[in-house]
Amino acid sequence: MILIQDLKRYYGSGSTTVKALDGVSFEIKKGEFVAIMGASGSGKTTLLRILALLDDATEGKYTIRGLKVSSLPEAERSYYRLTQVGYVFQDYALINEMTAAENVYILSMMEGKSKKESYKVALEALDKVGLKDKHDRVPDELSGGEKQRVAIARAIAKKPDIMFADEPCANLDTRNSEQVLDVFKDLNDNYGQTIVMVTHEPWHVRYVDRVITFQDGVLVSDEWIEDR
Amino acid sequence: MIDDIRVGALIAGSSIKRGNKKTLVFIVFVLSLIFMNLVFLPSMIGGMTVLFTGFMQDYPYGDIVIEPTGDNTYINNADNVLQKVRAVEGVRAATKRLDVGASIEHKQNIVGVTVTGVVPTEEYDISQYPHIIKEGDFLGELSRDEIIIGSIISGTSTTFGEIYDDLGETRVGSLVEVTYSNGVKRTYKVKGIMEGNFELVDLNALVHYKEIEDVYGLDNGKATSVVVRIDEAGTEEQMKDKIREAGVNEQIFSWADKSETLIRQAMQSLGAIDVMSKFVGLIVGAALILIIIYINILNRKKEIGILKAVGITPRSIVLSYAFLSMFYVSLGIFAGLILYLSLMLYFQANPVVFYETMKIRPVIDPMLLIQSVFTMLTLSVIAGTLPAWSVSKESILKAIWGR
Ligand SMILES: Nc1ncnc2c1ncn2[C@@H]1O[C@H](COP(=O)(O)OP(=O)(O)OP(=O)(O)O)[C@@H](O)[C@H]1O
Ligand SMILES: [Mg+2]
Repeated sequence: MILIQDLKRYYGSGSTTVKALDGVSFEIKKGEFVAIMGASGSGKTTLLRILALLDDATEGKYTIRGLKVSSLPEAERSYYRLTQVGYVFQDYALINEMTAAENVYILSMMEGKSKKESYKVALEALDKVGLKDKHDRVPDELSGGEKQRVAIARAIAKKPDIMFADEPCANLDTRNSEQVLDVFKDLNDNYGQTIVMVTHEPWHVRYVDRVITFQDGVLVSDEWIEDR
Repeated sequence: MIDDIRVGALIAGSSIKRGNKKTLVFIVFVLSLIFMNLVFLPSMIGGMTVLFTGFMQDYPYGDIVIEPTGDNTYINNADNVLQKVRAVEGVRAATKRLDVGASIEHKQNIVGVTVTGVVPTEEYDISQYPHIIKEGDFLGELSRDEIIIGSIISGTSTTFGEIYDDLGETRVGSLVEVTYSNGVKRTYKVKGIMEGNFELVDLNALVHYKEIEDVYGLDNGKATSVVVRIDEAGTEEQMKDKIREAGVNEQIFSWADKSETLIRQAMQSLGAIDVMSKFVGLIVGAALILIIIYINILNRKKEIGILKAVGITPRSIVLSYAFLSMFYVSLGIFAGLILYLSLMLYFQANPVVFYETMKIRPVIDPMLLIQSVFTMLTLSVIAGTLPAWSVSKESILKAIWGR
């Protein structure tokens, strides 16, 4: 599904160049739940942003479903982000003035669905993350775990090809983290959702199929978790 | 595009519904002041204009004034002209006047004045002269040895007292000697003192029409002007034509034509102030609207980044800010209108007083209001769109994470 070949991302130039990604290649297949780990500054976020079309690679090639998404014009990249890619941010990144449902259904409306249809889709997605009954609350009225689950609902409502999550549990306590990870696992197990999640926590490994580890911008290990 | 509009409306709507109400109130308050600034001063200036033009109509010129052609000093058969004019439909009243130069003397004080010979009974329908007698009475049909003098001449003007020469303590009943431009001297008893708080009036003197006829040896109803009042303000030009068609061959002017030379300059400077105040108001207003909305948008930079990151089109985002600022500005205009109208009401009841008696009541000009509303709305769209557009062009990473 995702094919990455010799991907590089350099910041700055000359002697101050930071090689955030320095030649990374791997492939992710449909239905995989992948954890990306590594020390701080090893390039995990950089990789995720590039794959989610929020940033550009300096060099290298990556395709999603065979499509060279990086070379699409901005309007199509925007449409791709809207329809094919789900991105879950570390700090939720919800719109504070919108209710949970609005945060989710704005995307369906953007896709051209009617308001009613959009609402239905949003409620379904909120149901999947166990928040149907809190659909009309604004982010300030939700716990951290609930906010992150709204963000996940927003990411999955469009039924994306692939979902990226950058340390989705970094701001959450264990209980809230488990709730979020359970949602991911449920999506992966029952709906075959492809998920790439960056994490620092070793215990998260038990939720995933595969762990890719980075160090200083290069891939240092790629392991399959046998029985989870 | 439809989707962009719907999503833009959704973003704007939620931000209005759940955004900070204090900020909203503040923004609307400032916008209402901007609106006030656009319309208030022009209304006051409009009031001053009305006051000036009112003087022109109420004293020297009426609505339409007929004057002798060419080098002639007099309209030769004013009674005939009057007859024709009064027969014209839409003419309310008309009278003849004789203006001559003279000097007035009282106890060794001499003042140069214009003496106007009037037909007293007819002036009631033509001018304000009969109504501004502050001491004594207006002339009557039989007033032949009597004179009305302006308050500046009499030395009792509260407004212009210090500026002009006067006759000292002239009172009703005092005797004054008038030397006409042809050398004829007459002695009159002061019957009344008039005060219009307007130099053209208060430096003037009135006697009976027949007196001037007599002094200058005129006959056949000569006049230096025939003053006409019409039924409907604003129809001066049509009425001029009608009077011409009725066979009047003298020169015909509207009060506006005549005022031009006299107070053109005053009007021009008022007009310049008016234009400048509107211009400055607009610039300041535009800048303020831009700043307010720009700050608002800077505060939401992250939000804009997030919206873009999840696939909302920049166009929807820009539209949402256009909607938002249109909403702010509409509320601002509404509040501004209320503020403005209440001030107008206040000043109608309590006019600004100049020279103690010149009351200036602001004039509400609907065209100006409509213009200002449209200007503000247009500005708001520009002010809302430009900053949003520039922020929405920024990279997502920069908008969300600041780098
Ligand atoms: N905009 C930028 N300009 C310059 N250097 C940057 C920029 N963004 C990231 N970097 C550098 O690139 C490297 C990789 O950063 P990245 O954010 O991908 O790390 P990470 O693995 O996500 O770390 P963490 O676990 O702390 O989130 C770091 O050395 C970082 O300082
Ligand atoms: Mg990171």
